[in-house]
Amino acid sequence: MIITTTIHTGTHTGTAIRMTDRNDPNSPNFEFWRHRRWWRAFFIAGFGPMFFVFLTLAILAGAAVWLVEGREIFWQALEDDLQILMDTVPRVMAAVGAAGIMWVLLPRDKISAMVGRNSGLIGLCLATVAGTVTPGGPTSAFALLAMIGAMGADRGTMVTYITAWATLGLQRILTWDIPMMGFDLSALRFVATLPLPVVAGLIARMLPIDLVLKAEIRLRDKM
Amino acid sequence: MIGTLLLFFIFSALLITILRRGKLSTLEAAERALEQFAQVIPQLCVALLAAGFLAKLIPSALIANYLGPEAGWTGLLIASIAGPIVPAGPVLAFSIAALFERAGATPETLVAFITSWSLFTLHRVVTYELPLLGGSFLKLRLLSVGFLPIAAGLLAALIVRLV
Repeated sequence: MIITTTIHTGTHTGTAIRMTDRNDPNSPNFEFWRHRRWWRAFFIAGFGPMFFVFLTLAILAGAAVWLVEGREIFWQALEDDLQILMDTVPRVMAAVGAAGIMWVLLPRDKISAMVGRNSGLIGLCLATVAGTVTPGGPTSAFALLAMIGAMGADRGTMVTYITAWATLGLQRILTWDIPMMGFDLSALRFVATLPLPVVAGLIARMLPIDLVLKAEIRLRDKM
Repeated sequence: MIGTLLLFFIFSALLITILRRGKLSTLEAAERALEQFAQVIPQLCVALLAAGFLAKLIPSALIANYLGPEAGWTGLLIASIAGPIVPAGPVLAFSIAALFERAGATPETLVAFITSWSLFTLHRVVTYELPLLGGSFLKLRLLSVGFLPIAAGLLAALIVRLV
């Protein structure tokens, strides 16, 4: 539908620069949706090894239910499952969309600069806030962590940052906690964990560490 | 219910913000969202299916016994140990947490379980932490945050009793 099959490779003079620009995965103007290979990477990512692991698990568990508990319980379980799917999947989809937008809107370099400059207890509080709002998955968070370290943040700040990201990260709460566990439990978990990253940072201000930077894996690179 | 409303409200607000930012930002966000979508939605569907069938096989009395109100401290400890054993990302971890919840686990054990998983999940340690930051940082982090799941569970129990 969206996939354009004919891609001009810049043979027409005048439009040549624009054409190569939008076909270059390294350019910000790269138009990913025009590329069949991007969509192929999209489907490979969707139906990768983990999908088949879970699918096998579902089939095995389903077969076991059929054999052990009988046919009626099996259909009952399938009906319950589909109900849960209908409840959960639209919520996760909205959350994934929101997370994608947050990733673009939040200034990641400003976050790391803010945390890298401050030390002391204020530094730990700022690291908690920064970890909480950092968008993206573990690759972004660990890359940011390395940047914060390179900017001169101390070990406590780094532990607080990554702990806050892991436990309080708004993106995970939005994408997973609220859709799957409901608002009440998500709020309870957030409030109960809120003071703990600072405590962890205070404990951590003792041991030495090493840092290595690594680039983030994007679908574009797998085309 | 309140969670669903909040989610769709946040999504709409963010969507309006990004659309006003212009085409380039919107497309960048769309690419990002599609990447996440591919990595999450198909897996989630089959994982929920698997968790639902497993729930019928594991007697809920067993889960309620270990993670329910009677379990107390032991429940928190079991939940904290169970967290990192979940050998995969949020898809499976939260499917299992939802299964525990339906089987009668208390809020504090669920808090301990999710906190423990989010801090120590093996796949993230192996894929990101060790290669990016090395063993010494892992050791430092484990020593500093080891108490967190139990502490979060205890605080949650306190809040539940106070509210």
